[in-house]
Amino acid sequence: MAIGAGIVGSVLGLGGGIIIVPALTILFGVSMRTAVAASTVSIIATSTGAAVAFLRDRLTNTRVAMWLEMGTSAGALSGALIAGYLHQRFLYILFGLLLAYSGYNMFRTRKAELPGEVVPDRLSRKLNLAGSYYDRMLGKRVEYQVTRTLPGLVLMYFSGAAAGLLGIGAGIFKVPAMDQVMRMPFKASTATSNFMIGVTAASGAVVYFARGDVKPLVAGPVVLGVLLGAVVGARLMVRLKTSTIRKLFIPLIVYTAIEMIYRGVKG
Amino acid sequence: MTTETHHETPSPHEPIELVLARLLRIGSIIAAILLALGIGAMLLGGHAVVGPRLITAGLLALLATPIMRVMVAGVIFAREKDWRFAFFCLVVLCSIVAGILLGHEHGG
Repeated sequence: MAIGAGIVGSVLGLGGGIIIVPALTILFGVSMRTAVAASTVSIIATSTGAAVAFLRDRLTNTRVAMWLEMGTSAGALSGALIAGYLHQRFLYILFGLLLAYSGYNMFRTRKAELPGEVVPDRLSRKLNLAGSYYDRMLGKRVEYQVTRTLPGLVLMYFSGAAAGLLGIGAGIFKVPAMDQVMRMPFKASTATSNFMIGVTAASGAVVYFARGDVKPLVAGPVVLGVLLGAVVGARLMVRLKTSTIRKLFIPLIVYTAIEMIYRGVKG
Repeated sequence: MTTETHHETPSPHEPIELVLARLLRIGSIIAAILLALGIGAMLLGGHAVVGPRLITAGLLALLATPIMRVMVAGVIFAREKDWRFAFFCLVVLCSIVAGILLGHEHGG
């Protein structure tokens, strides 16, 4: 189970909490707190295990990642600060609708391997965000530009806030933000998302550790499995077609959107 | 600010991706070994304290890796006189620390 979560998470640039939390609580009867803590630590495992292969292939755009991490970490911080003052149900519905919309967009562009011609905005040029990687599937070097740099940062802020407020959505908002808004190639988006989620999860995990929510007997085997899965998944991902990865991503984004809206409506 | 730093341009230093890749690999190998040893110790039914301790050490090693990654990236950017990005790393580190302190308060 944990290895599977690691593979899925690393291929799609997500944390894998979607799989781990329900599996631990429903199948293994672990308490929600323990499951969330184990899942947070395993997000770090997904990120760290897969990033090695992505960095070597230059799929990860480290400059974009550092720029956007400011947004996610500031967002997570303010999310934690204002948690409890905001209407959670409203947030679930809002973020659910946002996800549904980006799922729809992703479905429309499901066949595109690469984003086509992108004109970088001024900030992107100034920060030197353009990147290139060797795509093994296409057998060629892909050069790309990044645009809408500032909107991207703002979206990351909200993605971080959502993670801080609702405890979900480590990667599911990041990938569409980079793919659809900043117009990065899909593979570069998932790899960069994968790289970033480790940092946000680490600050959350420290807190869970301090509270004693991280149970070694539960977290240990899960995290080891995820770590191994992530290493395998990353090797698999660089060989997959973009359209294949997208096809895997779309059902997950739709599922998460429905789940969030349902939670919001049910209350 | 210079306009180079494209991946292909020869740099006196190793590319940042490779340095970070090595750091993350070392972190995950250490974590994996500690976790495997800990789980192994528990399965063999050895000392009741040793297994969980090893696992906790492995989890902590894993936890430290991304934070180290931001620090090392900051140092590399500073070494390349890319002050803007070094500053970005600093901002990220500060929010992580603030988040941890805040979480402690909330957690009691």
